[in-house]
Amino acid sequence: MTYHTLLFLLTTICAAGAVMAGDLLIGAIMLALVSIGTSLILFDFMAPLAAVFELSVCAGLITVLFVGAVSLVRQSEDADARGRVKFLVLPLAAAGAAIILWFTLPGFFETLITGGTVSTAGQDPIGITLWTARRPDLLGQIAMLAAGVFVIKSIFPRRNK
Amino acid sequence: MTNSFALDWYFIALILFIGLYCMLVSRSLLRQLIGLEIMSKAGLLAVISSGALTSNLSLAQAVIITMIVIEVVVVAAGLALLAKNFRINKSVDIWNLKGLKG
Repeated sequence: MTYHTLLFLLTTICAAGAVMAGDLLIGAIMLALVSIGTSLILFDFMAPLAAVFELSVCAGLITVLFVGAVSLVRQSEDADARGRVKFLVLPLAAAGAAIILWFTLPGFFETLITGGTVSTAGQDPIGITLWTARRPDLLGQIAMLAAGVFVIKSIFPRRNK
Repeated sequence: MTNSFALDWYFIALILFIGLYCMLVSRSLLRQLIGLEIMSKAGLLAVISSGALTSNLSLAQAVIITMIVIEVVVVAAGLALLAKNFRINKSVDIWNLKGLKG
């Protein structure tokens, strides 16, 4: 088993752990581990910029947001622990899905791989690609951030006395 | 399954299944968001794997950065909704979101 496959396996196990965790705080921490695993996979794919972004934003910022939310709702969630059986069934469901996927997907992926077009153009650096080919994405990102601020402002309006 | 990319995509499909399962069986908004995050990680891995397969890593990285920004905004808005819902209904059940109407 190569390092690359091991990373994918660990990320999958952490994802299952995040879903199955009884305590939401453990779920949030497992989700951070999924992000760290994803980040290591990105490093392994020679995509360092995306990996650092993933590590800082998803494993850092989003985990902090989740832990803050968990601290708010923890007592209410703990009281509703009786419906946890459906989460404990996950390994069984995942194992069933894994067996079905093992026999159905490889052939499909092989056709995808042979049908894919490999870029023959020289690889531009990420900065050039981002500022030339994907410039509308940057505008979209700014618009998304503005929309996020607007949503949060409208959910929590300032109260007038 | 000899090809490394096919194995990658096999794991990606499994991660996607786990996220989807979490979203389908859970009624808690927080767990729904955890499922959404896991599914988005699967999408992110699919993009980088495709980028590596087609020798287009720069483009894949640019798309991933956009995906992460969108992911953060969606999670922040979702958690804000959760906080508001919890403040009004004292519950994180998604079916109580109707109570926020108006």
